[in-house]
Amino acid sequence: MRLSRIDPHTLAGAYALDALGESDRERFEHHLGGCESCKAEAASLRDAAGRLADVTAAAPPPRLRGQVLAEAARTRQQPPPVRVAQRVRRSWHGVGWPAAPRLAVAIAGVGILVALALGTLLINDQHRLHMDEAQRGQIAAILNAPDADIMTVPAHPHGSATVVMSHAARALVLTTARLPALPSNKCYQVWLMGTHRIRSAGRLPSPKQGMTAPMIVAGLAAGDRMGVTVEPAGGARRPSSPPVLMLDLPAD
Amino acid sequence: MTAEVPGERPRAPSGGDLAGLLAKVARGDDAAFAGVYDQFATTVYGIVRRVVRDPAQSEEVTQEVLLEVWRTASRFDPGEGSARGWLMTLAHRRAVDRVRSAQASAEREARATVAATDYDVVADEVETRLDAQRVRRCLDALTELQRESVTLAYYGGYTYREVAALLGVAVGTVKTRMRDGLIRLRDCLGAES
Repeated sequence: MRLSRIDPHTLAGAYALDALGESDRERFEHHLGGCESCKAEAASLRDAAGRLADVTAAAPPPRLRGQVLAEAARTRQQPPPVRVAQRVRRSWHGVGWPAAPRLAVAIAGVGILVALALGTLLINDQHRLHMDEAQRGQIAAILNAPDADIMTVPAHPHGSATVVMSHAARALVLTTARLPALPSNKCYQVWLMGTHRIRSAGRLPSPKQGMTAPMIVAGLAAGDRMGVTVEPAGGARRPSSPPVLMLDLPAD
Repeated sequence: MTAEVPGERPRAPSGGDLAGLLAKVARGDDAAFAGVYDQFATTVYGIVRRVVRDPAQSEEVTQEVLLEVWRTASRFDPGEGSARGWLMTLAHRRAVDRVRSAQASAEREARATVAATDYDVVADEVETRLDAQRVRRCLDALTELQRESVTLAYYGGYTYREVAALLGVAVGTVKTRMRDGLIRLRDCLGAES
């Protein structure tokens, strides 16, 4: 858990007040992922911070009630969290790509971070619109696979990727949050790196509200690693820059 | 603000039964969702309005927050803190995201002048409530720097670095005051309720 020079514990108050900038927030959340007592403190401070809203109560315009209830009636709800096999992986640290930033990887438990990350996979209505039935079916199949593993990996310099991988399906669902925005002549490209060759898995969709729509990466082979690099907008044949994130995929 | 007096509805308790309502909402119970609205819309709208300021945008954000509750109620995990804390986190974070993404620097400066001190002005717009009194009393028990750090961040939507700049103190100091202040607030509220 790298929290450059800053003792993460001192950020608990600012975090509870939503007073961290994006990158600080991400770092702190990664820290929380590995610290049970910090999680408990963060929850209690968030509860306390939430009480500050008691002072500001104000009635919304009466019409809002009807609007909200009507909108809810036509909005699909998220399913409850997927029960994911809790398997702690050993091989998370190796990042062998030359010049790859050293990344801390948090394996998320069934905690709020995962719930949030997973939630983003499916809920974004704008994303949903751009997906056809077949894609949605594939995604649901991977998320619900009995052998699914969830992994969250921080990106460099900020942002994160969440991966749900099914070994049986040899496929994974990838979504990212808050990666640095790119100029229009650049894109993020996803790679699978096996022991013998590197192959492109396609470009990340462009983000909506900082998040990319779930992307299916299929045809995984044992020993593959997944990496994301910044490439020219049309995509590249081979990675030409250091990865912004790297993930060892679980082997079995 | 006169047509529907919030006080005539069941008053929001500290969230004890919100968890129960959320469980029903997760199963698609729209009456339970209406219950959440009736108990918490004033609290949600109030803090959103406080941070965002603009009434039309505040209404939008409030609607987003409540729809997020509807959509993601199944994700609420009682092991991760209180239901009320979960809801207020959704609301506050959305409000903060809105002002941080949208606002020009001039607008921020304008808000800076009012954010620190008038947290109780808005409260006077609605009937004085026991909860609000308690929170105010506990806020008053903080040191001045703790209180300013906490209220600028929460009501003003500022980052701790911005708060440090506004108060002219070191960033590290603001961080610790925020934490100490919230701990004191938590303990004070816990002791009183």
